[in-house]
Amino acid sequence: MTDTPRDRALIAFDGVDLTLGGKLILTGIDVAIRKGEFLSVVGPSGCGKTSLLNLAAGLLMPSKGRVTYDGKPVTGPRQDIAIVFQDYGKALLPWRTAAGNISLALEATGYPKDRREARIAELLDLIGLSAHADKFPNQLSGGMQQRLQIARCLAQDPAVLLMDEPFGALDAMTRQALQDEVLALAARTGATVLFITHDLEEAIYLGDRVIAMRPNPGRFDVSFAIDLPRPRDQLTTREQPDFLRLRRELFDVIKDVEH
Amino acid sequence: MTALPTLNRIGWLLASIGVGLLFIALWYAVAKARLVSPVFLPGPERAWDALVYGLTEGDLREKTWATIERMLYGWLLASLVGILLGALIGVSQVARAYVEPTLEFLRPLPASAMMPVAIAILGLTDAMVLAVIAFGALWPMLLATVHGFAAVEPRLYQVSRALGLSRREVIWKIALPSAMPDILAGMRVGLTIALILAVVGEMLASRPGLGQAILLAARSFQSADLYAGVILLGAIGYVSGTLLSAVEAHLLRWRNAHT
Amino acid sequence: MSKDKQRFGWRGLVLPVGFLVAAEAAMRMTGWESSLLAAPSAIAVAFATALADGTIATATLQTLATSLGGLALGAGLGLAIGILLGLVRTADRLLEFSIEAFRPIPAVALIPIALLVFGFGFRMEIAIVAFAALWPILILTRAAVAGVEPRLIQVARALGFGPAARVWKIVLPAALPRIFVAFRLAAGIALIVAVTVEIAANPIGLGYNMMLAQQTLRPELMLALLLWLGILGWGLNQAMVWSQKRLFGPAAMVRIDP
Repeated sequence: MTDTPRDRALIAFDGVDLTLGGKLILTGIDVAIRKGEFLSVVGPSGCGKTSLLNLAAGLLMPSKGRVTYDGKPVTGPRQDIAIVFQDYGKALLPWRTAAGNISLALEATGYPKDRREARIAELLDLIGLSAHADKFPNQLSGGMQQRLQIARCLAQDPAVLLMDEPFGALDAMTRQALQDEVLALAARTGATVLFITHDLEEAIYLGDRVIAMRPNPGRFDVSFAIDLPRPRDQLTTREQPDFLRLRRELFDVIKDVEH
Repeated sequence: MTALPTLNRIGWLLASIGVGLLFIALWYAVAKARLVSPVFLPGPERAWDALVYGLTEGDLREKTWATIERMLYGWLLASLVGILLGALIGVSQVARAYVEPTLEFLRPLPASAMMPVAIAILGLTDAMVLAVIAFGALWPMLLATVHGFAAVEPRLYQVSRALGLSRREVIWKIALPSAMPDILAGMRVGLTIALILAVVGEMLASRPGLGQAILLAARSFQSADLYAGVILLGAIGYVSGTLLSAVEAHLLRWRNAHT
Repeated sequence: MSKDKQRFGWRGLVLPVGFLVAAEAAMRMTGWESSLLAAPSAIAVAFATALADGTIATATLQTLATSLGGLALGAGLGLAIGILLGLVRTADRLLEFSIEAFRPIPAVALIPIALLVFGFGFRMEIAIVAFAALWPILILTRAAVAGVEPRLIQVARALGFGPAARVWKIVLPAALPRIFVAFRLAAGIALIVAVTVEIAANPIGLGYNMMLAQQTLRPELMLALLLWLGILGWGLNQAMVWSQKRLFGPAAMVRIDP
């Protein structure tokens, strides 16, 4: 399976190694993510998936090799790369309302003050939280809080969305609803998405491509292109023979890894 | 444990006040029957008379005000220093490593124990009392602030980096609101200590105020005046505590918001 | 917890050691004799002397006696009332006003009353310490008892326990860790209030000896006693923390913030 040529990649990892506290976390990471691509990364816990994300975000620097954004090396966090964390409760400001939390991103990017209110309303509407604009995060359900975090990320007008097991802490029904919302948002904004999960089916359902990782140290194992038609549908897509085939192949890989 | 008989909030408040009045009636009965010598326990009506007289024609008003002023100035000074210093120390792990052990050691030290030292340096003056009040109120404030700033959710710092917030923005929009519950708790303790030290200081240094007034009343066996003064001190404690709690409840309303 | 261990590393000593060195240097440079303050070396000497001639022992015993006496009295009352209020919500609601009226009275404000009734000495100090220790224990015990996980009570009911058995077997043991924390807090308060009473009025114990040292222009003894007081307070707190860990295990460690 051919990777995107480096010159058309938005984010590229070139022979990246990461050592933290004397321990080798990631090794030999090579991948080029095309603009607008939805890349899923799966793997068991402890294979450095979160570190992969932090490298892409510029929160960590590689020990070897380099990470580039639009051809230029990543030196630190960029305002057009947004991160959605799994622990939404800790990533939101509990003392600000939903509107206030979205506002934080607008304040950070220096969005013109007179247009902020409108933009906040727009984003709240997009994720379906308009009725809860003045509520505090601890008044919202888990799913709503995660939506709020996504909305705050969208307020950055990101070119890239990095999502770290964003639905791991949610129940199955909410998870499915949010999966579809993320797909719709990605399609609408044309954002490039790097989606980390340990849920195989979720990875296949969402992505254009899925990469499986092995742990100790974390490295890429196999990658599959996902040719399922878009827009995806929770019922029909998951019944497609291609979906089931990919699922089995991926399962075999992961099972092999778990030894 | 046992279920609450159905009475609404006002009903319970009135019943509670009723019980309070019962206690006062008990006080009256005991004093009237001279079960305890009137030198030790004047009747409530005598204490009330002394209170009213002292506030209207006597000098209780000035004395009360003197004590309140002392308490407030010392407390405000301590708050200012405590919060600023606490913020500086709290955000820096390095600073905390140097300072925290000393603070932990000084924590159980009674602030009143500094009084002899303060007298040695400043003599029996108003400045001495104010210094002791400020010093005494400083510690809980400082410790609480350091803790508040040190305990900021690390995820929020990551979010700040991803959003590209400036250092000033991080302190003002993330660290300070996050530390606010601790800071306010420290201020509440500081206020209690400030009142105590104001009273002790007035007693020791014979500075005009309620502390000195009740000590003199005891020495001249004016028990009614004594009790009147004690009631006033209780009132100061109650009112200042309630006001601060109200401010705290408003600033921290996000904490008590329910789904 | 390991981070706590790291905290008390060498960096924590820099500040106190530095301060001592600076103080010693400053005192030596501005002249040895001073009736207001003393150099660390003089303090150390005074400390050793006071230890040897029994001053510290006597004073400490006096202060500890009143602290513990007052603590026992206040805690006993506080526990009893707190458990009652935690169990019987009606009583809790009815007494709310009276408690809120009495609580804000600073314990030190009662010194003149206690002086009137008991005169100088142990009883007066114990009374005041008891008043001061009563409130935190009452309030926190009430909260601990009322805050027992309702699920546990449901389980107890389902198992067929009567009210007395529920209280004895479920409620009290469940509330015990938090009650112990309240006790720890009250112990600290007891010591502080005892010393405060001694400084303000009562001629016994460490507080009084500090005042005496200051008045007789012996700053080195005054500061030695202050240092000793700090060590005492710190030591007592450590002892309580240790016993809490032993009794309840690290899972029950609740942090008291100032």
